[in-house]
Amino acid sequence: MRIQRRKTDNTYNPLTDNMDISERFQEVQKMKLESGLEQNLQTLQQVCGYSQDVKIRRFSINRQIPAALVYLDNMVKDTTVEELLRTLMIDTRKIEGWDKDIGLLLPAIKDLLIVNGVEEADSIGDLFFKMTFGNTIIVIEGQSTAFVCSTVDLKTRAITEPSAETNIRGPREGFVESLCVNITLIRRKIRVPHLWIETLEIGSLTKTLVAFAYIKGLADEKMLEELRSRLKRIDTDTILESGHVEQYIEDQPFTPFPLTLRTERPDNACSALLSGRVVIITSGSPHVLILPAQFPMFFQASDDYYEKPPLGSFIRILRWMGAIISVFLPGFYVAIVNFHQELLPTALLMRITATREGVPFPVVAEVLIMEVLFEILREAGIRLPAAVGPAISIVGALVLGEAAIRAGMVSPAVVIVIALTAIANFSTPVFSMAIALRLIRFSFTVLAAIFGLFGLQFGILLMLIHLCSLRSLGIPYMKPLAPFIAQDIKDNILVGWIWGRSTRPKLVGYREPFRQKPGQRPHPGKDDKQ
Amino acid sequence: MAADNFPKTTTEKIANRQLLFMLFMMRTTVVIAFLPVLTSADALQDAWASAIVSFFTSALLVLIIGGLGIRFPELTIVEYAQKLIGKWPGRAICLIIVWALLVIVATDTRIYAEALITGFLTETPLPLIVFAMVIAGSTAAYSGLEVIGRSADLLFPIFISAILLSLIFAIPEFTLLKRNLEPVLARGVGPVLRGALVPTIIIAQYLCLTMIIPATNQPKKALGTALWALAGSTAVLTLVALAVTAILGPDRGSRSVFPFFNLVRTLQISEFLERVEILALFAWGFGIFIGVSVFMYCGTRAVAQVIGLHDYRALIAPLAVIWGTFSVHSYQDIFQIRTYFDARIVVPFNLFWILFPMGILWAAYGIRRLTGRKPNEE
Repeated sequence: MRIQRRKTDNTYNPLTDNMDISERFQEVQKMKLESGLEQNLQTLQQVCGYSQDVKIRRFSINRQIPAALVYLDNMVKDTTVEELLRTLMIDTRKIEGWDKDIGLLLPAIKDLLIVNGVEEADSIGDLFFKMTFGNTIIVIEGQSTAFVCSTVDLKTRAITEPSAETNIRGPREGFVESLCVNITLIRRKIRVPHLWIETLEIGSLTKTLVAFAYIKGLADEKMLEELRSRLKRIDTDTILESGHVEQYIEDQPFTPFPLTLRTERPDNACSALLSGRVVIITSGSPHVLILPAQFPMFFQASDDYYEKPPLGSFIRILRWMGAIISVFLPGFYVAIVNFHQELLPTALLMRITATREGVPFPVVAEVLIMEVLFEILREAGIRLPAAVGPAISIVGALVLGEAAIRAGMVSPAVVIVIALTAIANFSTPVFSMAIALRLIRFSFTVLAAIFGLFGLQFGILLMLIHLCSLRSLGIPYMKPLAPFIAQDIKDNILVGWIWGRSTRPKLVGYREPFRQKPGQRPHPGKDDKQ
Repeated sequence: MAADNFPKTTTEKIANRQLLFMLFMMRTTVVIAFLPVLTSADALQDAWASAIVSFFTSALLVLIIGGLGIRFPELTIVEYAQKLIGKWPGRAICLIIVWALLVIVATDTRIYAEALITGFLTETPLPLIVFAMVIAGSTAAYSGLEVIGRSADLLFPIFISAILLSLIFAIPEFTLLKRNLEPVLARGVGPVLRGALVPTIIIAQYLCLTMIIPATNQPKKALGTALWALAGSTAVLTLVALAVTAILGPDRGSRSVFPFFNLVRTLQISEFLERVEILALFAWGFGIFIGVSVFMYCGTRAVAQVIGLHDYRALIAPLAVIWGTFSVHSYQDIFQIRTYFDARIVVPFNLFWILFPMGILWAAYGIRRLTGRKPNEE
């Protein structure tokens, strides 16, 4: 096969093949536009190795001055570019006097351009960076600065409901991969100028835009300063997803628990903003990060607040129970069957022992094998193409489980325990927390196998110390449970009526503790009663 | 000023509420596990009266222990002892406090381990349980007082609800109440007072106050906090004493090793729900953990300040090993611990811990006041 050689010419190229990326960077940083058009175009192409998505359209202004449009294919709106061309080729004829003084031309052209944004730039690296945002560059013969015109055509995924955070009630929109669309989604819900958005560019190669939004006057200034410094400290070449940002700014990296809350739902992000938190939006990721995040927040779904409060509270308690089951049930089962049979009622104990008859493994091996098997199944279920997903679940769950019991390899009780654990785990609404709970479940199983219930208690104590020592952006992770803040319980463990939730969470939104007038409980007027 | 020579008090702050929870749990755990025996041994059916009397006597000791602390709200005992009686005598006297904390940690963990071994894990080697508790406690102490405070916040509801639930479930069993509790105060006041001796003297636990007071949000109110904690645990003790005498009877109650667990074990809530003592034991373990971690924190910080070490964390690992070993080797079995809790042994022992250092410091303080020197001066 013949490798297609790049088009090269014999002109001087400062960028040689044996230059490493950092040298290349420095070299490009130094490069400026010169006055010759062809030379400039060549430099622009040399910098990106004549890549084919860099499009050059040569033309001449008023049939006399050669010029060119440079843009990246598919990033610009064709009609806008055509409009631009027409302006430059035809409308420039109206300018008077420029043939005597060429200096008049540039400001005049700038006035003529009918596009959103026009800037001037002269550094090659800068120009290319701007092209990646969908800008079109106008290079003119004899000019050492170029016009950068905004001709952006955002091609984004449609705004759909996030599949990982489905709700029964509430808005059906989710964040997409585009930073500006995401900011728009937030801005459309909070329509005050006090929603401030600060943008940073992180990653020397990816040049990812990372924005953080907050409500000025509500978010703690010290917290913002801390976040700003943590973001500025990041010095890397790659930021591809919000997960990369997350790992750089966490308070304590060595923990399975997520210290930032990821969400794909604009309403979640807005409710966090309104309680004084900060939202970090990363360009190219539909997951925005909410900071500071507290442990109870990972068990909240936004429709808890949209449904009636008793329902919301009930569901939330169910979720807490689910979390507890998903962490402790396998360990508890192992401990009871191995060490504390006397704790079971006799009838139940007889059933369990009867079904364990002939099973070749010790209980803990049985439980661990089934747990690992289930995890593999779950992982396979995610990675497989959607079309074969159901097949795997049928083969894996039904056939395998049934056959394993029939063959006497595992006891039905263990299958029940593992299935219950798995189902309970799915009730945790935030995936990062669910997977953390799943992970620590293994250590509890092992502890219980060695020390029985005492092992469980030991594990609980260690986990407790760990959880209590965590902080998210300086705020204790277990707030409002520890430190105990009574007024926040209404919104964290249970769901209160919205007219009763007059205060913002303490420690986070304390700058303006009251969010509404208290005493707005609806009651029919006295006249209506009669 | 010489005050700059030794490490400053930490910047960690806990709320007085957290201090209350800590003090309540550390006293209640030892009290519910052990004390009905000790009180009823002397007072028999009047154990509840002993419990109430013990509140007033313990309160007096709390005032002695914590009184100086609120007069130096910024300083730990190691720091103000050096101000009051000079650098080296001050440091030396604090070693007594450290010794007291060492013995208390060892005893608490040992009681916990013995309770587990007699009740549940009959074949588990004792050092394993002791060291597991020491590891948990020292991890907490390493993480700092704030973390212990937050853990106390989290564990307190579990602790109190488990104990109250056990007591509530015990109510239907109170059929023997009248027969077992009568005759009231038949043998006069003497046995009641003697029965109050041991629960009073266990207050040596609150020696940790001398290290914690400067770390509270409102150090001046710390004494009130301690008294509230004492009142709460006295209430629990009274209820437990009542329940134990009512259900097990004064004789069995005073003979059984862990009367409260025996009591919970006899409960049968329904056909399906028996053996609820596992819940009580779990909650009780949480309480022991809080106590142990507080003592470890205070002990290590005191040692660090005495030897002038800036960061107490470096001392935790070696001291944890000493604590664990001490706990395993200082008692042979559960009966030796019971002997230790005999009034003739534990009272002079603990009184020495409390009265000797505090007495000297109070005297120095009083002399300074009388001679007109400001107590805060060198």
